[in-house]
Amino acid sequence: MPKISDIEGVTLAERFELSACLQCGRCTGGCPMSIRSPLNSRKFIYESLIREDGEALLEREEVWDCTSCRTCSSRCPRELDPAMVMRAVRTVKIEGGRIPKTLMDAMESSLKHGNPWGRSRMKRTAWTEGLSVNSIEEDKESRRLWFVGCTPAYDPRAMEMAKALARIFEVAEVDYTTLGSEEVCCGSEMLRAGEEGLFEELSEVNKENFAELEFDEVVATSPHCMNTFIADYGLKIPVTHYTQLLAALAVDGALPFGEEGEALKVAFHDPCYLGKQNSIYEAPREVLKAVPGVELVEFSRSRERSLCCEGGGGRMWIEGMGEGERNAQIRVRDAIDMGVDIIATACPFCLLTLEDAVKTTGSEGKLKILDIAEIVVNALDGNERSEG
Amino acid sequence: MKIAVFVKHVPDVAEADLEVAADGRTVKGGELPFEMNEWDRFALEEAVLVKDSLGGELTSFLIGDEAAEESLRRCLAVGADRAVRVWDDGLAGANPFALTAAMRGAIGEDEYDLILCGAQSSDDGYGLGGPLLAEALGVPSVALVNKMKVEGGKVLVTRELEGGWGEEVEVDLPALVTIQTGINEPRYVSILGIKKARKKPIDLMDAVSVGITAERLATEKEKLSLVGIETPAVGEGAEILEGSPEEVAAKCLALLKEAGGVL
Repeated sequence: MPKISDIEGVTLAERFELSACLQCGRCTGGCPMSIRSPLNSRKFIYESLIREDGEALLEREEVWDCTSCRTCSSRCPRELDPAMVMRAVRTVKIEGGRIPKTLMDAMESSLKHGNPWGRSRMKRTAWTEGLSVNSIEEDKESRRLWFVGCTPAYDPRAMEMAKALARIFEVAEVDYTTLGSEEVCCGSEMLRAGEEGLFEELSEVNKENFAELEFDEVVATSPHCMNTFIADYGLKIPVTHYTQLLAALAVDGALPFGEEGEALKVAFHDPCYLGKQNSIYEAPREVLKAVPGVELVEFSRSRERSLCCEGGGGRMWIEGMGEGERNAQIRVRDAIDMGVDIIATACPFCLLTLEDAVKTTGSEGKLKILDIAEIVVNALDGNERSEG
Repeated sequence: MKIAVFVKHVPDVAEADLEVAADGRTVKGGELPFEMNEWDRFALEEAVLVKDSLGGELTSFLIGDEAAEESLRRCLAVGADRAVRVWDDGLAGANPFALTAAMRGAIGEDEYDLILCGAQSSDDGYGLGGPLLAEALGVPSVALVNKMKVEGGKVLVTRELEGGWGEEVEVDLPALVTIQTGINEPRYVSILGIKKARKKPIDLMDAVSVGITAERLATEKEKLSLVGIETPAVGEGAEILEGSPEEVAAKCLALLKEAGGVL
């Protein structure tokens, strides 16, 4: 079994300068998982400090509960990074080979098929059937890459995000291309689950693709892909989220909305990777405000205080130890109390966890979970009464 | 304890639109990803568990071309002490008799206490490699094992039978055991682990070094020859339900109710 101190030959305390920790507990206090899981980031740091080898941390299975939302890191008064301690412990567990089976399958699939969903590379573009989607495979060249992402490409529900965006881009005559079946998982979730080697393999493929095709801008569907391109790839070109592109199109009047929009009360759920980690709070709200008929309301826990949906950090493939009501269920109940018609979000993981929560709380028919792209496409001229 | 494990590198055909090649006897496989045969993953894990508990040396064997070395690297990454790859162009697409001759030749004069193989491979699925190798070595073999314990010069195994039944068998070592899936939980092999294993040597053997002449290969190949393969004919009576997942589920439910299903 590998040891924690094997990583770079230093202890966790040395590696992450944990001796600066005040043990104030703001990390655990802010952690969206600590209420329903034994996960306690302050304790992780304490144990890293008092036990030189820190090996006892390897016994703590709750390390898999971390969603890597980084609320802990954002609240630390000493600017420490508890989330990185979790990731480091995961990495050692991964080298020992004993990890949740569902996560193992996702990792092996990412290496073998280039996506974590166990689906064939050949089916990556199946979602484009019947749609007009630019792709390098059809010689549609552009300097702007739309990175579709694995979940919008393969998951039947999240696919609606990709379909909606393709339609919006077509209507608004956006210049873009996609990598088609050449697109490979960005590796964000694999890195945060602790599989650093796999992340390197995947990121190398993407970096080569980006450089070879001379893109000068990347627009991502998922905040997770966007974040890793910015935070981990070190790309030298601008990387944006699709809501930023849609906000710009709205300002330019390039989104041809129908005149009479359906009156909808919409609450926006800030995805952690868009908001907390990249401070993109305004663009999604600007898009929603531009949609005729939409009344935008705010959750009490919004923006930097947004409640994590539990979909990040590899948690889409880890059941976890948490007990009781899931955060996404709390979110759905809050929204029903607020009397909203729609919880809007802008992340495929949030979309899936929230939609699951609608079902598990028996709230079908009471409200809808829609991605911003879906709300926009439904409101385009000629589409107003088709859905929504 | 000297332990040997045989692994095979096979195509992953999940979701693949398979096509029969022009020769009518092979499948077009150019685009398919390859991986270690699933049964062999369990055999490898079991071999490592035995080595970890009793000590000894684990040698992994593979009959395959250079691309198949990936599966041997997994063996080295999880704890195999040696890796041996046997290849000769004449073994491409060879039947189980020819492959077993190569497996037997790779073992040579070495004596192993325990030899583990997957119960079958997901590509051709003959399930013959293990039993034929045991025959060639003159050691007893037990097939489809889903529980195993090595103790006092014997191996106690449970063989998987139909309907949840098991058959307990005790065999003297040396012995060959073919492993059924589910016997253990194969560990994850990290990319870093595989990279580290790339620095370890893999012994290469060709037809000459495993003692197979062209005549012998021809003789073995004659024992079983593949006449042809074909995709299943499209039958009648199947109804493909179209629509969104919700619509398909609703139609499915209606059909089951209509047919008197218990719901």
